[in-house]
Amino acid sequence: MKLLPSSSSRTPVKFRIPTADNLVPIRLDIEIDGQRFKDAFTWNPADPDSEVVVFAKRTVKDLKLPPAFITQIAQSIQSQLTDFRSYEGQDMYAGEKIVPIKLDLRVNHSLIKDQFLWDMNNFESDPEEFARTFCRDMDIQDPEVGPAIAFAIREQLYEIAIQSVTSARESRLSKKGRRGFDYSPAIKSSGISLDLVKYFGHKSSVVRKRKDWDVFEPIVDILSSEEVGALEAREERNAR
Amino acid sequence: MAAQAPAAGDTPSSSTATPPPNPQSLPPPNPATTAPSPVKVETPSTDSKVTPAATAAATPPPKPPEPPATEADTIHIPRYSRWFSWDNIHECELRLLPEFFDGKFPSRNPQVYKYYRDSIIKLYRQNPSRKITFTDARRTLVGDVGSIRKVFDFLETWGLINYSGLASSKPLKWDDKEGNKSSSGAASQGGGSSGSNNVAEASGSSKETAKRVCNGCKSVCTIACFACDKYNLTLCARCYVRGNYQVGVSSSDFRRVEINEEMKAEWTEKETLHLLEGIMHYGDDWRKVAQHVGGRSEKECVAQFIKLPFGEEFVDPAEMESKRNAMENNNAVLGAETPSSSLPNKRMCLTPLADASNPIMAQAAFLSALAGVEVTEAAAQAALTTLSEMDYGVSRAGSFSNHAKPQEARLPSNGDGGLNATEGALMEANSQLEKEEQDLEKAISEIAEVQMKRIHDKIVEFEELDILMEKERQQLDQLKNMLFADQLVLSIYKNKARKSGECMEENARSD
Repeated sequence: MKLLPSSSSRTPVKFRIPTADNLVPIRLDIEIDGQRFKDAFTWNPADPDSEVVVFAKRTVKDLKLPPAFITQIAQSIQSQLTDFRSYEGQDMYAGEKIVPIKLDLRVNHSLIKDQFLWDMNNFESDPEEFARTFCRDMDIQDPEVGPAIAFAIREQLYEIAIQSVTSARESRLSKKGRRGFDYSPAIKSSGISLDLVKYFGHKSSVVRKRKDWDVFEPIVDILSSEEVGALEAREERNAR
Repeated sequence: MAAQAPAAGDTPSSSTATPPPNPQSLPPPNPATTAPSPVKVETPSTDSKVTPAATAAATPPPKPPEPPATEADTIHIPRYSRWFSWDNIHECELRLLPEFFDGKFPSRNPQVYKYYRDSIIKLYRQNPSRKITFTDARRTLVGDVGSIRKVFDFLETWGLINYSGLASSKPLKWDDKEGNKSSSGAASQGGGSSGSNNVAEASGSSKETAKRVCNGCKSVCTIACFACDKYNLTLCARCYVRGNYQVGVSSSDFRRVEINEEMKAEWTEKETLHLLEGIMHYGDDWRKVAQHVGGRSEKECVAQFIKLPFGEEFVDPAEMESKRNAMENNNAVLGAETPSSSLPNKRMCLTPLADASNPIMAQAAFLSALAGVEVTEAAAQAALTTLSEMDYGVSRAGSFSNHAKPQEARLPSNGDGGLNATEGALMEANSQLEKEEQDLEKAISEIAEVQMKRIHDKIVEFEELDILMEKERQQLDQLKNMLFADQLVLSIYKNKARKSGECMEENARSD
């Protein structure tokens, strides 16, 4: 029988990204006349909407893209923002949720692979701080890696948060509101969260098993230019 | 001559000029000791109007731009940014970027700000000859792009990054707060230069309500525009520069109109005339009057009208004296403006009050204007005296009636008995009225008291209810806790039992 957690974590919380600052990950992937623009960054949804257009103009000017990009970029950002805002009013579970976050990115010449556990319940968490520390500890020279890491973490957290919102809605519908939130089991809310009791209960210790060490160790590879070219070609082929 | 004085204490100074550091291996931020290059402070030879209020730049000495040959690593920053230091946050940063320091967002705090600022500046200084773009900076920094953009804009406008050291560089768009100040300052630098284009564009995004629409490009003119009175055209600065006007008009026909300063501009005689004409024709319809005047908003027209000498009459129409004075002034003023005939004077005299909302006043004004000044004065005086006499009469009658009653009793056959009787009756009625009023007041106050008491009692009741609720809630909490403790104990026991069961199984299997 599972431990019933205290009632405080079962009450639904208003949706937000479970980090210290409520920033939205935005991904852009626009193609106009054969010119491809890919980008990913974090946005503060509290900024006024005029910022979107200003940002789009600035980016296009800086990168010397054709002006047709401005509206596309602005539209894309706006639609992602409205998606985020549509989730914002709803409830989500904030139960005991330790989720594994996987990093698998290639930024310019660096290849980053990593996996770690993240507490969804911790609303003070800060992916940016994590990224900064990561780069400092792993002695990464390329300054573009940091933001990419922070973005990847944020994106995954956002996905999980969305899942929890939808599952909260479903479970509420299925229960027909009779029993309320307090009685829905923890496991149902998300399939990927770890069962704390199983991991850190009586039987096992907090120290990770040796066989898991390789999985959870960060790997940073610096690629040479040919390898980069090969990887990019492969990615494009996959994309098509 | 160039002033080779690294700003004291502000900037990092190093002994030797090292070659631009390898961008890969940026030293950890300890800029006080390991600076890439000495930083030179440069005084801009543009007008000191451009320098913001924080600095004390008086008259900058003229200086030629630095030859970069021998000093490839010298970084130029303008004189108004001398306050910058790696270690501190200066008060103008506090002032212009308050969102980082007021704790509203957890992601915007002084450390983050310092991190952004330092990394952007370092990034720029790695290669000072190249202008760093916002996208470059944004890609290398961890954080949300809105805040990065604000810091970037701030640094760029203060010349700490992307400063080319040339005197001709125009000031860029400042923060929104200073947008109007600096843009009007910049606009006043050169009327037709391209700078005003930038300024017009930059300030196009400001939220000023536009009052003028350009005839050429049908866009609103915000800061400065060019008006041609001959053909009644209005062009924004951009169209003027581009020569986007009609064939018959030449550039010299235009006069520059500063919208920002229009408010304080003097009303010309022509405009005043237009104003009065408009009022005469349209009366209270200030919109039409403003149109007639052309170039002034309704508010301005009204304000100006009030300020005009005869406007005082609207203030206190009961004072005929002031009206007389005002009319004299009016005559003098208008006499100076239109010395041609007295007829327009008279019409002018009529107009202010002719359209007054008070028809009686209008009538009186009309009559007095027709009758002439002295007659009006005499009539006014006579009216005043009779009025005051009547008042006195009434008050005297009041005091009479105080003695009325006892006198009535004593002298019923008095010749004035008739008068006294009516006055006595009047007085009695008055006293009865007063008594009734008092009764009413007492009754009302009693009712109010009763209501208050009721409400007070209700409040007391609710408070007691509240306390009861609190007690119940506490009991409920206690019960909940006990239940939880029980469940915990139960589950632990069950676990133990299960584990011992498993252990026994394992033992059995391994045997």
